[in-house]
Amino acid sequence: MRFAFDRIREFGPAGIVLEAILASMVGITLLVAFILLRRAWRRRQFRRREERALAIRGKWEGIVSGRIPAANWRFHPIDREIIQSILLDALEVSPPEQAAPLLRCLRNSGLFDTLVHEARTLHGWRRNRALLALGRTRAPEAIAALGEGLDSRDAHTRLDAVRAMGRTGLPEAAIPILERLVGGELGVPVSPLQNALLNACRPRPAVLLPFLRRAPDEVRPLLARVLGEIANEELGDELLVLVHDKLAEVRAAAARALGRAKPRVALSALATLGSDKEWFVRLRAVVALGELRDPLAIPMLIATLCDSNRLVRLRSAAALAQHEEHLAEILELVQRTGDRYALHALVSELERSGGLMKLIQSLIDPERMEYSRAALTSALRAGTERLLLDALAHHAHWRVRLSVARLLANSGKSELASQIESMLDEAGSSRQQRVMRWVVNQLRSGGPPEKDEAPEPVSA
Amino acid sequence: MATSFIYDALNGINHTLFFYYLCTNLIYLFLLIVAIFSSTHHLRRLASTRLERLKASPLAPPISMLVPAHNEEKTIAVSVRSMLSLDYPEMEVVVVNDGSRDNTLAELVREFRLLRTDLLYVSEVPTAAVRGVYMSQIEPRLIVVDKEPGGSKADAVNAALNAASCPFICVVDADAILERDSLLRIMAPILTDPRRVVAAGGIVRVANGSRIVEGELRSVRLPSRPIEVLQVVEYLRAFLIGREGWAHFNMLMIISGAFGVFRRDLVRQAGGYRHDAIGEDFDMVARLHRLLLDRKEDYHISFVPDPVCWTQVPGDVKSLGSQRSRWQKGLMDVLWRNRGMLFNPRYGRVGLIALPYLWIFEMLAPVIEIVGYSSIILAALLGVLNGDFFLQFLIFGYAFATMISIGSVLQEEISYRRYNDWRDVVRLILYCFLEHFPYRQLQMIWRLKGMWQFLRGDTSWGKMERAGFETQAEAGVKKDPAAQSGLASR
Repeated sequence: MRFAFDRIREFGPAGIVLEAILASMVGITLLVAFILLRRAWRRRQFRRREERALAIRGKWEGIVSGRIPAANWRFHPIDREIIQSILLDALEVSPPEQAAPLLRCLRNSGLFDTLVHEARTLHGWRRNRALLALGRTRAPEAIAALGEGLDSRDAHTRLDAVRAMGRTGLPEAAIPILERLVGGELGVPVSPLQNALLNACRPRPAVLLPFLRRAPDEVRPLLARVLGEIANEELGDELLVLVHDKLAEVRAAAARALGRAKPRVALSALATLGSDKEWFVRLRAVVALGELRDPLAIPMLIATLCDSNRLVRLRSAAALAQHEEHLAEILELVQRTGDRYALHALVSELERSGGLMKLIQSLIDPERMEYSRAALTSALRAGTERLLLDALAHHAHWRVRLSVARLLANSGKSELASQIESMLDEAGSSRQQRVMRWVVNQLRSGGPPEKDEAPEPVSA
Repeated sequence: MATSFIYDALNGINHTLFFYYLCTNLIYLFLLIVAIFSSTHHLRRLASTRLERLKASPLAPPISMLVPAHNEEKTIAVSVRSMLSLDYPEMEVVVVNDGSRDNTLAELVREFRLLRTDLLYVSEVPTAAVRGVYMSQIEPRLIVVDKEPGGSKADAVNAALNAASCPFICVVDADAILERDSLLRIMAPILTDPRRVVAAGGIVRVANGSRIVEGELRSVRLPSRPIEVLQVVEYLRAFLIGREGWAHFNMLMIISGAFGVFRRDLVRQAGGYRHDAIGEDFDMVARLHRLLLDRKEDYHISFVPDPVCWTQVPGDVKSLGSQRSRWQKGLMDVLWRNRGMLFNPRYGRVGLIALPYLWIFEMLAPVIEIVGYSSIILAALLGVLNGDFFLQFLIFGYAFATMISIGSVLQEEISYRRYNDWRDVVRLILYCFLEHFPYRQLQMIWRLKGMWQFLRGDTSWGKMERAGFETQAEAGVKKDPAAQSGLASR
């Protein structure tokens, strides 16, 4: 080879190019050979692995119960890898009673100790892999080794240790994270940290409270956010302290927590937060009020519907639209506020959520007919004629079309006449056109129609 | 004397070209090595992230998917359904019907039972007039904005941006098919470090040849037409080597318009997408770099090589030529507008490395190539061509460029392995040898045409027809997959 290069160099500058050509050719050959050989090797490897996995599945009961001694498979790398991965996958999704024998197998076979050893002694991605595997075991004794990972100088190792702690799903695992976090010793990105705390603290959210009280201001919003996601009724009135917190982020999280935990005093606490000076606190409060689904919240939601912030108005509208049984009153009350933006937000939401469509459908439901008519009349006054006009021209049921026709004729909104006239071509039949013309005439004449003046029913 | 001067000049040009070509390939070789390390690292990190956990996280930031649609009646319903079925905790899909002359809007109204609403639409970024905003009665996450034609994709994306309400936006072409977990994957770097990562681009792959049913990719195969396979090689090289390598050094200058995630507040602060931009995706990333570097912020624009977006590529020479001319115009447009950043130390590595690279090795490449061919022909005519040198140059260029292309196949093979069939891999390798003639020369002509059009002030997008995905699936993609539309992916 050296001889060949010496000969090439005799060509002078052209020799360099020839060398480059040669190097490229060798590169191409090696790359192609590598791709093809790797593919062939992987294929063989996967086939072998599949065969072993099948054999192991066949003896799985014996392996888990310990009837097949661990010495039979532990020192066989492929078998060990397959068994470990099956055990960890099963452990992650098993309820406690099913997890116990799996964890026992992991411990008795020595795999658990190996993982702990690897998590403590290895470096780089091998250590990280061991940390994550330890987290998946959900074993309390893994916490100490994972805690050491939190103190690593390597940022990725710390991150994986945090993730592994989260995967244990144990409140005890949250404590080492929280201690370091409060002490300012844990440099990991916020998002994985939140997720880890979320998973670890979910069974016992109260773990967070003492840390939330004593944490520095930079950390408290993060802890409050986690608390807001996992709060349960056990926390109860303890959340009230957070309602008056000096940090707006914490107050917002408190609103979320109140919506989830639903303590007795949630309504009044959320009413306080609904008039907070920060818009996002008010927004959270409104969302939480919506989650309570309590009719007593309606006046507060109407007040927030008139908020200066668009998002607060939209969320209030969404929360109000859920109170389907009280839509007529809500529309009435909102109109009385005289706030056009609030009315617009509510009407849009009712259209979007299908609330108005449901009211239109129930115009032919004897039990809800009166209520629907009253609610739709309010809605019409609020400016939702488009949907009603659409129903007049296109609704599949002739009785609905007729009811809508009466409603529109009664509305006294003469400005609708020209719109209905322009829609005459869209009418499916001549009889439907007659109904629409009748509505136009009634609107133009201005007087409320008598019941017997109403047009004849039109077949579908 | 004159002959000697010409001889020296031609010789000088030939040597400069050799050096230029060597530099291009060495840069690509360097990027290939970086990309291999980077994707290995990425795969290891991904193993620890566990996507299913991200999917269940209530703290994952919501995303608005922005889907500009112009004459997309054949694919729009399938695409929107596919987007709505993506795995992500909280998202909304904002489709903008950009003045379509076909039944795009009617198709959406029918499929999703849309209702026109008085939903508040605030035109924070100016766009062509909005005719109406529609919401679905069966899918609350869907918003459709119907607007007058704005003449550009950027205008449609801006309208969608105005209607979007989530902190992150994901711009997706209406004809793109996203894999179910692609949103989770593209968001992984953002979720890991939401303060620093301001945008992330995903890989766009060629859907021609693959089996797509109901907007879902069922099996990945190479297309049968050579022109399409050549584009597969090109896409692999561009994404798996180029973007991965540049992103590693935080110098990524393009996030594909077919699939990319951005922080909404930053896009708005940058003034939204530039209305008259030809390459609006490139333009947006350049402006984001500029904005954040002006503010001296610590940020990162990531490329994530595994969230896959599948798109149709042109299946005929005419459409491909039109697309490539447009890309060249877009490149020139953005580089010219951002010329103030070039070699400006204020813009760090973007101004000192990434932009000069784009000027010299991307924008001027067709000019240098044509100069090269001309000088060789001239030298041959004048009898001053050094035959040996020419032959060596040719063989070296061919071998080195082929090696880089095979490197991209290697990168695909060791990391993502989407082509499972042996025959596909062998064909890919084979096409790495074939792409240098005449495909490369055609590219040069198309790009020169683009340059010429740009210099003349022609910034049109061109118009193309397309076949729907269902047609493709039924025919096993034997049918003409047609071409990109005006909203094609870069």
